[in-house]
Amino acid sequence: MTRVALRSIRSHLGRFLMSVIAVLLGVAFVAGTFSLRAMLSSTFDSIVQASAQGDAYVRGVTSASGGSDPSTLGQERGVIPLTLEPILKATPGVAAVVPDLSGPVVLVGKDGTAVSGGGGAPSFGMAYDPADTGITLIVGTAPNGPGEVVLETATMQASGLAIGDTTSIVLGGVQQVRVVGEASFGTASAGARFVLLDRAVAAAAFAPDGGVRSFAVYARDGVAEKTLVADLRTALADQPAAEATTGDEVRTEAKAQIATILGFISTFLLVFAAISLFVGAFIIANTFQMIVRQRQREFAMLRAIGASPGQVFGSILVQAAVVGLLGSAAGVGAGVALVAGLRFVLARMGQELSGAIPLDASTVGISMAVGLVVSLVAAAVPARRAALTPPVEAMRDEVVVADRGSRLRSVLGAVLVVLGVVAVVASAVADLSSAGPVLGAGAAGIVLGVLLVSPTVVPAALRVLAAPVVAALRPLGALARGNVTRNPRRTASTAGALMIGMALVGAVSVLAASAAESTRSIVQNESTADFVMRSATFELPKEIVAQVEALPGVAAADAVHVGPLTVDGARTIAVGAPAAMFGRTLKVEVTSGDLASLTRGDVAVRASVATAKGWAVGDRLTVADGSQSRQVTIGAVIDSRALDVDVTLPLDVFQSLVPAGQDVVRTLFVAATPGSDLTALRAELTAAAKPYLIVSVLDNAQFADALADQVNQVLVILYALLGLSVVIAVLGIVNTLALSIAERTKEIGLLRAVGLGRAQLAAVVTIESVLTAVFGTVLGMVVGVGIASALPSVFADQGLSVLAIPWTRLLVVVALSVVVGALAAVGPAVRAARLDVLDAVSHE
Amino acid sequence: MRALAADPAATEQIASARTLVKVYGTGEAAVRALDGVDVDFARGEMTAIMGPSGSGKSTLMHCMAGLDTPTSGTVLVDGENVGRMKQRDLTRLRRTRLGFVFQSFNLIPTLTAEENITLPLDIARADVDRGWFDTVVDAVGLRDRLDHRPSELSGGQQQRVACARALVSRPSVVFADEPTGNLDSRSSGEVLDFLRRSVDELGQSVVMVTHDPTAASYAHRVLFLADGRLVGELEDPTPETVLDALRALGAGRREPVPHGSRSSAHAMAMDRDAAVHGQHLAAGHDK
Repeated sequence: MTRVALRSIRSHLGRFLMSVIAVLLGVAFVAGTFSLRAMLSSTFDSIVQASAQGDAYVRGVTSASGGSDPSTLGQERGVIPLTLEPILKATPGVAAVVPDLSGPVVLVGKDGTAVSGGGGAPSFGMAYDPADTGITLIVGTAPNGPGEVVLETATMQASGLAIGDTTSIVLGGVQQVRVVGEASFGTASAGARFVLLDRAVAAAAFAPDGGVRSFAVYARDGVAEKTLVADLRTALADQPAAEATTGDEVRTEAKAQIATILGFISTFLLVFAAISLFVGAFIIANTFQMIVRQRQREFAMLRAIGASPGQVFGSILVQAAVVGLLGSAAGVGAGVALVAGLRFVLARMGQELSGAIPLDASTVGISMAVGLVVSLVAAAVPARRAALTPPVEAMRDEVVVADRGSRLRSVLGAVLVVLGVVAVVASAVADLSSAGPVLGAGAAGIVLGVLLVSPTVVPAALRVLAAPVVAALRPLGALARGNVTRNPRRTASTAGALMIGMALVGAVSVLAASAAESTRSIVQNESTADFVMRSATFELPKEIVAQVEALPGVAAADAVHVGPLTVDGARTIAVGAPAAMFGRTLKVEVTSGDLASLTRGDVAVRASVATAKGWAVGDRLTVADGSQSRQVTIGAVIDSRALDVDVTLPLDVFQSLVPAGQDVVRTLFVAATPGSDLTALRAELTAAAKPYLIVSVLDNAQFADALADQVNQVLVILYALLGLSVVIAVLGIVNTLALSIAERTKEIGLLRAVGLGRAQLAAVVTIESVLTAVFGTVLGMVVGVGIASALPSVFADQGLSVLAIPWTRLLVVVALSVVVGALAAVGPAVRAARLDVLDAVSHE
Repeated sequence: MRALAADPAATEQIASARTLVKVYGTGEAAVRALDGVDVDFARGEMTAIMGPSGSGKSTLMHCMAGLDTPTSGTVLVDGENVGRMKQRDLTRLRRTRLGFVFQSFNLIPTLTAEENITLPLDIARADVDRGWFDTVVDAVGLRDRLDHRPSELSGGQQQRVACARALVSRPSVVFADEPTGNLDSRSSGEVLDFLRRSVDELGQSVVMVTHDPTAASYAHRVLFLADGRLVGELEDPTPETVLDALRALGAGRREPVPHGSRSSAHAMAMDRDAAVHGQHLAAGHDK
C-alpha cells in the first residue's frame, strides 16, 4: 500500500517535473532573448552615446533613393570636403569641430600577431582629437606624428602591449609605431579595437582626397543645439552636399539602426522560443491528460456528490497554474543564466558587453505571462474534458475517447499546403518582384498546413515507414505500428515538434550546401588566376598590390576594388576592376556587348539588374558620388557571381569617383607568368603578405574553401540552436511515450501474460519512439528541403546560383533521428518492462 | 473429495499445489489470502474454482499461473515448479505452456482477430500450425470475423477470440479468470460451451475461476474456496448442485461444514478475507 502510494507520488512528480521543465525551457528562451536584446541594445546605445557626443553634426546629404538597401547601410551619404572645417569653426556658438577621420587599421600585438576584434568585431584607427569629449586620455601623451599611437583600454589589454612598447600597424602600408598613451571611451566596446592616431596621419590614411563622412560640432557653453544647428545651416547655405543636424537626431538614427538589426536577431531567437513553447504546451497537455485520466473516478465521485463541472475544471487549472508559475520563474532564472553564460563566453573571446544583465519588469512580466498562459491553455482541453464527462461514464471501466483528426482541420491543412506549395513554386519559377516575401508566406503556409494535416496522414505514412520493421520483427513491429497509429493526433503533434526543427535543419543544410557549392562554382567557373590574395578584414592594404605586381614571375596582379556609388540616382556598391583583368584572371559570362569596351571607359552591368531596369548595351548611365558625377556608357551586360554587384567600372573611372577613403581593395587575383614555378611564386607571395599579418595567399581550391567556410561559421550557431529545439522535441517524445504506456497498462499486462518478454516489450516501445522520431524527421526534411529548393531560384541575385541537396548529410540526420528516438525510449521502455504482470492486468 | 496424488508431479495432474500460502502485507496488517491450499487439477478436465468474494480463488489461479508469487508452498504446472521460476522462465512458460482468458480486455485493439489469435505464437516466433488454427477457429465459429478489429466484434465474439488465442499454441493448461463475467447469458453459453468442447474434443485442460453457478456447471469438477482454504468440491456439477453447495458454504458461517472442523477460525478468517478484499479495491483505486 505504501509502495503503491509512493510510486504514484513519484510518478506524478516525474510528470509534473517534465511539464515544469518544458515551461522552463520555453520561458528561458523568451526571457533570454529579451534580456540579451536589452543587454546588446544597452551596450551599443552606450557606444553610440559615448562615440557621438557632438551637439551637432555636419554630414553629406542622402541621395534621392538610397538608405533602404541594407548592403549600403551607413554608406548612403556622400562625403563632404575636409575644407569645410574652417567655415564650421567660424560659425557663431561653435566651440570645437572634430572631423570623422577613422577607418580600418591592423594593430600588431605583443605576440607578433594581429590584434583581432572579439567575435569578428572590427579594428578602427581614428584621429585623436582633444576636443572630442568622447575620448579621455588616461595616461601618457597624445600621439604626435606617424610614429606614435594611443590605444584604447580594452585594445591595450587585448594586445598585451604597454606604454613605451614599439610595435607596428598596417595602415595602407606597415608602419613602426610606439605606444605613447592609453585612452578610454568610458564604455564597453563590444569587442571593437581602437588605435588613436595623430590627426595628420589619420587624415592622410582615411581622407587622402580630403573627403570625410561627417564633422562633430561642439557648442560653446549655453548655446542650445537648435540654435547651433540653425547657425550651421546658415553657414552651409552655399554647400548643397552638406547638411547640419542635431546630435540628438544622429544618436537617435544610430540607435534606430541598431534596434533594427537587434530586432532581426530577437525575431530569429523568438522563433526558437515559439518552437520550444509549442512543444512545452504539448507536454503540459499530455501530462494533464494523464493526470486527469488517473483521477477520472475521483472527479466522477466529486461530481456525483455535487461538485459542479466548473469546480472540477478549476481544480485542474490550479495545478496548471502552479506548473506554469514554477516553470516560468525557473525559466526566467535560466534565461538570465543563459545570457550570463553567453556573455562570459563572449568576454573570453574578447567581446566585452555592458556590465549588468538587464532584467526589467517587462521581461519578467512577459516571460511569466507567456509561461502561465501556455500552461493554462494547454491544460484547459483535458480539464474541460474531465469536467464535462458525465459521472456515470467516468465510473465505467474503460473510457475510450475517440480521437480522430477532424475533417475541417484536415481540409484547412490541405488547402494551406496547396496554397503554400503554389506560392513557393511561383516564387521560384515566376519572375516576381517580391519573390522573397512570397516564398516566406508559402513556407509558413506549408509548415502550418502540414501540422494541421499530419494527423490524417499519420496512419498511411507510418504504415509505409513501419513496413520494414513489421516484416523484420514479427510481431513487435506490428504492435508498435498499431500503437503509433491508434491515436494519430497525438503521434502527429509529437512528431510535429520535431518536424519544425527538422524542417529548419533540412532547409539550412540545403542552404549551406547550395551556398558552398555556389561559391565553389564561382571560383571554378570564373577565376582563372593562379593565386588569390585576401585579407581577414576584407580590406587588402593598397600597398601590397604594387609589391605583388613587382614580383618576378607575376604576369598580372588584378585588384578588385569596391566602394559606394550613386548610379542613376540609386546608391549602390560598385566594383572597380582593371579593364584588362577580364580574360586574364577572371572569366565572366557576357550576356551581351563586349568587356573589351571597358578599356574605353564603358561599364558593365549585371544581367538581372539590366532586365529589371531596362538597361541595354549602349545606354548612358549617370554615375556620381558627392559633388562629382559622370556619364558612362553600358558596354556589356554580364552575369558574374565573382563580381557580385550591379555595376562594374573600369578602375580609373571608379577611382575618379569613389573617395579614396571609401575605396577598398577586396581581392587580388594573381596570374603567374607562363612556365614559372608556382611553388616558388607562392612562397614569394606569402613572404610579401607576411608583414601585413592579415593577408592570406590562396590557390583556387583554398579560395573556394575559404568562401565556403564563411558560410559554415554562421551555420554552426544555427545548428546549435536547432540542436536545442531537437532536445525539446525529444522531451515531447518521452512524454508521449510515458502517457501512452500509462494508458496501455492493462494491454501491456495482457501481452506479458500471453508470453511477451521484457526485452520484447522494451523493443516495442523503442520501435514506437523511433517510428515517431523518423516520421517527424522525414516530414520535416521533405518540408525543409522542398522549401529550400526554391531558394537558389529566388536568391540567384544574392549569389546563390546552384541548388545542392546534401543527401549524405540529410541521410545522416535521418539516421540520427533513429538514435534520438531510441534514446527517448530508454526511460519509458524500462518503466514499461518493470511493470508487474499481475498489477498491469488488473490495472484500472 | 478426490484424494490428493501422492506425487504432485505425476502425469495425471496438469497442475498441482501443496501447502500453498500467500500472505499480503507484513506484521499487523498481514493477510493470509491463501492459507495452506493443497489441490490437484486433472489433465484433460475442466475445473472450476468458486467461492465468495475474497475467498482467495483469484489468488489461487494467479499463483498457479505464475502471475503471482506464493509466500510458501509449491506450485507445479505440467511437471515444472512454477514457484521457483525467474521472470525469464515464467515468460517462457506463459508463452509455451499456458493460455489465458481474462474477464475483460483480452485483445490488443490494434490487431485483427486473426493477429490476436496467433499473437502468442508470433511472440514465441513459432510457426502457426494452420490445421490446428483452422480447427480452433472453426470451433469458436469466427471464420468470417478474422479480419475484424476487436472494436468491431461483440463482447461474446471478443471472448471467443480470446479463447481461440488461449488454445492456438496448444498450451498444457488454459487459465480462465471469470471469462463470462461481462457477458449476457447467450454469449456466456457460447464461450463456456467452447471451453468445455476444447476439453472434450481437443483434449485441453482448463482451470476457470467463476462466481456464476451456471458457468461452473460446465466444468467436470468444481472446487470451493473460502478464507483461503479449500472447503469443498463437486464432481459433474449442475447449476442446482452448485447452488446447493454454495448455500451450504454460506451456512458454514454458522455451522461447521462437513469438510473441515475449523469453524472457530472460520469467521475470523472471513473477516480477514474481507479486509484483503477491501485492500485490493483500495489499491486498485490508487493506481
